[in-house]
Amino acid sequence: MALNFKKETFREDYTYSNSGESIKRFPFPFPEDQYMYSVNIEPHTKGKPGSVCEFAFDIDEHYVAECLDKRITLEQDPGRYQALPHMMDAQWDFLELTMEALAQDYPEHFSLQKQGLIWTWENKPLGIKDTFTFGDTSTLATEPFDYIGRQLQGDFVLLDHRDETLYADAGIVTSQADWSLAFNVGMSWREWHGPVPRATELGVMDRALKYLLNLQLGSPVRRLNWTMTVNPRLDTSPENYPHWGSDRNTVNADNVADLVHLRVELQTLFRLPRSNAIVFSIRCYLISLKDIATYPRWAKRLHRVQKTMHPDLIEYKGMTKFHPLMVDWLAKFDDGEALTVGTHAE
Amino acid sequence: MEHGYTIKSKPIYGALAWHDKATVHLVIAQSQGGLAVLKLFEQMQPKQPVRVLYAQQDTDYAKTLKKVVPEGLDVLNSEQELLDVLKSIMPTMRMGLRIYIAGSEGFIWSVAEAVKAFGVENADLMKEQTDTLARTIYCVHCKAITHNITTNIGKCSGCGRMLFVRDHFSRQMGAYMGLMIDAESPGELPAIEEIYP
Ligand code: HEM
Repeated sequence: MALNFKKETFREDYTYSNSGESIKRFPFPFPEDQYMYSVNIEPHTKGKPGSVCEFAFDIDEHYVAECLDKRITLEQDPGRYQALPHMMDAQWDFLELTMEALAQDYPEHFSLQKQGLIWTWENKPLGIKDTFTFGDTSTLATEPFDYIGRQLQGDFVLLDHRDETLYADAGIVTSQADWSLAFNVGMSWREWHGPVPRATELGVMDRALKYLLNLQLGSPVRRLNWTMTVNPRLDTSPENYPHWGSDRNTVNADNVADLVHLRVELQTLFRLPRSNAIVFSIRCYLISLKDIATYPRWAKRLHRVQKTMHPDLIEYKGMTKFHPLMVDWLAKFDDGEALTVGTHAE
Repeated sequence: MEHGYTIKSKPIYGALAWHDKATVHLVIAQSQGGLAVLKLFEQMQPKQPVRVLYAQQDTDYAKTLKKVVPEGLDVLNSEQELLDVLKSIMPTMRMGLRIYIAGSEGFIWSVAEAVKAFGVENADLMKEQTDTLARTIYCVHCKAITHNITTNIGKCSGCGRMLFVRDHFSRQMGAYMGLMIDAESPGELPAIEEIYP
């Protein structure tokens, strides 16, 4: 099925919006009325046709606009791309994994032709066609991870596996929920997760790491993470916090449903073949409260989850200022009906 | 946050103690770190070869060190001089080397960076913090590094923004993250207090 790529923005005038189809496939993250951190990791198996998990890497109607936004962010701050020198094998592994997946899953938009090590990659939506030698960095204009990372929605971190832990030794990060790649690069699992409240105490972090150290080639895994963001802004980085932080002051009872967005990250992890590194892919989905209310089941669920949210999580996720407004707005959808376990919309 | 919240990337420093598996010891100290070195030699005079590099500063233990350390002591006049000597001797160091560092946090991570270039991992360094709790901060907005911050909020040496000093620490940078404190309410600063004297 050919996708209809939208023209829209994720900054300044914020023309981003979701089509009805896009709302319907939104990866709603709350199967129950309460939420707390857990080791919510499952195999990244093929989902239903049209769902965000149908393919290894999801491409949707926002693809072109998101790649453009990524380009702007990288131009303004080249530090959003980092790769330590020993990660070059992992870079080529990553390029191979993503190009092969896209060409196979979206043949009307992407193609990959191989003649031995001479590869030709075509990206029709972005108007890119290049021939290069696999493994030879001098045949591409930029490093391979940079080259293909810019042609994908979402953020990517390449993790080096050593000393019984993972090190974040490369990344291309332009749509993050308030963490800095430039500051985090080279950190170990425990260090970069240092600021997360409660999770270490709950044992979540140690168990999750153990699970990941066992990740096998060909058996990727996934989990969802979420936060709330004012405006459909991809670049909520600490770097640009001086630009977006004050948006939190603009929320009021009249505009809360339009301004406040649920931001869901579909996080997937793949073991890489030559480098034994791991790809951490963070694909961000944004939806306004108003669009969530398209499905009363979701509005009720979100109301209950937010109403009972642990205060440490409200603070850590930066929701303190607008949290009561959000809960009040959602309350009018909640008739108290019992909801079965599951994230489905209807 | 509730009580008990800590950021786990904040390094926790201990007290120096000899590694019994070492085949050679390299002790590196600055200013009041000299006292930590004296305490180390009080534990014992190790059998294995020892090299001590000491940079004199506000406090000076050089005289006592000369009495206590039988051989292999170098007294230097500044941190920079010490780092230069360190870089010159690192290539001669053998397998089984253990490194001990005592000084301010800024000093500790300058030494860590210098030896990293010779393949010494952070896990192989023993560290004791002395002199001051002053912090080095990285401005996440303009990327400048500012040294010797003793207060909860410090002014960035690069962009001049007032930065809240988070407990989040990067070993690579040897610095804590500094985040603009008044981005959501320009000009409104909480009380600035000395908390890292
Ligand atoms: C291996 C790849 C991963 C990377 C690179 C990564 C990175 C990060 C980063 C940078 C943060 C933000 C920390 C901050 O405030 O500065 C974070 C938050 C978090 N991570 Fe991970 N993470 C990974 C995998 C996982 C996995 C598998 C779990 C499973 C439990 C997990 C659980 C969490 C949680 C619960 C948070 C707090 C999120 C929130 O409340 O919004 N992470 N992660």
